[in-house]
Amino acid sequence: MDDERPIFLQVAELIENQIVDGSMPEGAQVPSINELAAFHRINPATALKGVNRLVDAGLVHKQRGIGMFVSPGARARLLGQRREAFAEQYLRPLLAEAAKLSIGPAELAEMVRQEAGSAAGPAGVVGTAPHV
Amino acid sequence: MTVVALPTAPPAPPIGRRLWNAVRLHVANPWPTLILPWFIFAAIFGLNLAIWQIISIAAGGTQNLDADAFDYNGGVTWVLFFLVAMAVQAMSLTFRFALGLGMTRRDYYVGTVAYLAGLAAMYAVGIAVLAQVERATDGWGLGGRFFAPWFLADLPAWQLWYLNAAVGLMLAMIGTVVATMWVRWKALGLYTFFGAFAVILVATGWSLTVSESWGSLGRYLTTHEPAAIVSWTLPVSLLCGLLGFAILRRATPRA
Amino acid sequence: MTAIVEVTDLTKRYGSLAAVDDASFVVREHAITGLLGRNGAGKTTLMQLITGQELATSGEIRLFGQHPLENAAVLSRTCFIKESQTYPDGFKGEHVLKVASWVFPHWDEQLARELVDEFRVPLDRRMKKLSRGQASAIGVVVGIASRAELTIFDEPYAGLDAVARQAFYDRLLADYAEHPRTIVMSTHLIDEVADLLEHVLVIDEGRLIIDAPAEELRGSATTIAGKHADVEAFSRGRDVLDADSLGAFASVTVAGLTPAERAAAAAAGLEVGPVSLQQLVIGRTRGTARQEVAS
Repeated sequence: MDDERPIFLQVAELIENQIVDGSMPEGAQVPSINELAAFHRINPATALKGVNRLVDAGLVHKQRGIGMFVSPGARARLLGQRREAFAEQYLRPLLAEAAKLSIGPAELAEMVRQEAGSAAGPAGVVGTAPHV
Repeated sequence: MTVVALPTAPPAPPIGRRLWNAVRLHVANPWPTLILPWFIFAAIFGLNLAIWQIISIAAGGTQNLDADAFDYNGGVTWVLFFLVAMAVQAMSLTFRFALGLGMTRRDYYVGTVAYLAGLAAMYAVGIAVLAQVERATDGWGLGGRFFAPWFLADLPAWQLWYLNAAVGLMLAMIGTVVATMWVRWKALGLYTFFGAFAVILVATGWSLTVSESWGSLGRYLTTHEPAAIVSWTLPVSLLCGLLGFAILRRATPRA
Repeated sequence: MTAIVEVTDLTKRYGSLAAVDDASFVVREHAITGLLGRNGAGKTTLMQLITGQELATSGEIRLFGQHPLENAAVLSRTCFIKESQTYPDGFKGEHVLKVASWVFPHWDEQLARELVDEFRVPLDRRMKKLSRGQASAIGVVVGIASRAELTIFDEPYAGLDAVARQAFYDRLLADYAEHPRTIVMSTHLIDEVADLLEHVLVIDEGRLIIDAPAEELRGSATTIAGKHADVEAFSRGRDVLDADSLGAFASVTVAGLTPAERAAAAAAGLEVGPVSLQQLVIGRTRGTARQEVAS
C-alpha cells in the first residue's frame, strides 16, 4: 500500500486489475473482507469501503450468505474506463517529462514506434502495469 | 462530530463473582501463601525440636531439666509478621495488577481483606491443631512447647485459634494501612504513618502515667482471659480496615 | 455512530504540568483508533484516566456512557494492556492467564493457548525472570484473548522483535475481523500500524492536535522538492509542516494541498511526493514545525 492515496482506493484498484488481467474472471468469487484485510494488513473497514466501491460501480455483486462475485460485463467496462483514462494517466506525464528533456511530439512518436517494435510481445497488451 | 447513540451498558458482573475474583487473584499462585508457610513452620519447628533434643541429651534426659525449660518459645509468631508482609504485597504490586485487569478498587479491597482474614484464620487453625498434637504427645516427647508456648500452654484450643487469628488479622490490617499509605503518598505516607504510630504510643504511655493507670492495666491483663484481652484487637482491625479503604479509594497505580 | 469512549474538556495536572490539557474526543464503537504521540506526550495518562486508574483534574469521561471511576459495569468490559504492567511477586505466565480467564467475561482459552505457542512464551517461568519481549508477549496474549469490548494497548510491544510485532498485528487484525470490538492502540511505531487504523488521535504535550479518520490524513500532506527558489515560491503562504534544504535543493512538507495544486506543482517542475502518517505526525509534533525555508 502506498502512502499517497486512500487505501480503500488501492484495494479497489487491485481487484480491478485482477478483473482486467483475467485472473479474476466474471463470476469468480472475490476474497472476503476479512481475507482482504488480513492479506493487505489493513483495517477491515477500509477493505469493506474498497469493495463497496466496486459494488456501487456494479463491477462486483454480493450474494447473501455466500460471498461476492465478479459481475458479468465487469471486465469490458473496466477496459473502457481504462482506455478513457489512458491519456490522463500515461500520456500527460509522458509529455511533461518529454518537454523537460526537449523531446518534441514527433520525436516522441518515433521513440514509441521504435520501442514497440523492439518489444518482444505484441503492442496493445493490456498490462498489469501499475497506473498512477 | 455528532454522537448519535450511547451504548446501553449491561449490568456489572454479580458482586459475588467480582469479590471472589479479587480473593482468588491472590491464590492463583497458591505457593507463597497456602503452601510455603507450612514448610516454614516445619523448618522452624524442626530447628527447635533439634535444639531441644541436643539440650536434653546434654542434660542426660528430660527428667534432669526444669519442667518449664522448653515452655518459652516465640517461633510461631513469625507467621504473624508474614501476614504483614502479605498485606503490604497485596496493596502494592497486586493492587496495580488488579487495576490493570479492570477491577475496581472497592471490589479489590474487600476481596483482599477477606483473603487476608481467611489467611489469618487458616494459619490459626493450623497452629491450634498442632498445639493439640503437642499437648497430646506431651510436648513431642520432650516437654517442648512450640505451638502453644508460655501462658498459652493450657488455653483451650478455640481460644488459641481466636488469639492467633485476631492478632494476625490486626497485624495484616496495620500492614494494609502502611502499604496503602505508601501506594498513595509514597515516602511521605510512610513518614506520616510511623510518625503517627510513635505519637499514639507515647500519648498512650503518657496518659497511663498521668492517670496512674499502669497498675490497673496490669491487673486487667492478669485477671482476664487472653481471649477477652485479644478482643481489643477487633476494633483496631476494623478501624485500620476502614482507614485502608479510605486511603486506597483514591490511590493510583503509578509505578 | 456509537461512542464507546467520550472525553470532554479533560485535564490532568501534576503540579504545574498539564499531562493532559483540555482534551475532547470520542472513540467509536468497533473501530481501531490509534493514539499517537511522542514519549511523554500524555498518552499513558490519558488511557489511565479513561480506565479510571487516574483521577482527572477537571473534565468529563464517559466509558460505555458511564463514569469509569470505580464502575465495575464498564471496567469489566475493558482490558488495558500496558508496557509497564507489574505482576504480583512470584507470578508466572500461567497465573496471569488463569486470572485473566476469571476476570474477562469473553475470554477465549483456546485462542490464548494458540497465541502462547505462536509467541513462544514460557508459562512456567516467573514474570520477573522473563525478558522484556516475553513479558510483553504475555500482555499481548491477554489483550487479544480477553476479547474485551474495549481493548486498550499502550505500547504493548517493548522488547518484541519485528517478527513478533508483525505476528501481534496479524493476530489482532484477524481476531478483530471475526469478533469486532473497540480497540485503542497507543504507539510511536506509527508506520507499522498506520494501515490498521481507522481513526487517528495525535497528542502532543498533553494537547490533542489531530483527531481525524486515517483515510483523511493520508494524502493530507505532500512533500514538494526541487530548486530552492521554486520551492520557496510555491510554499509561500501555505501550511508548511517541515522544511529542509541542501545547497540549492529544498524540500518542504505542506499540508492541505488540493489535487489541482499538486498538479500545478508537478507542472512547475517540482517533485511531488506522498507523506506517510508517521512523517505527518513527526512534522506536527517535533516543535520546530512551520519554520521558514532557510534562505
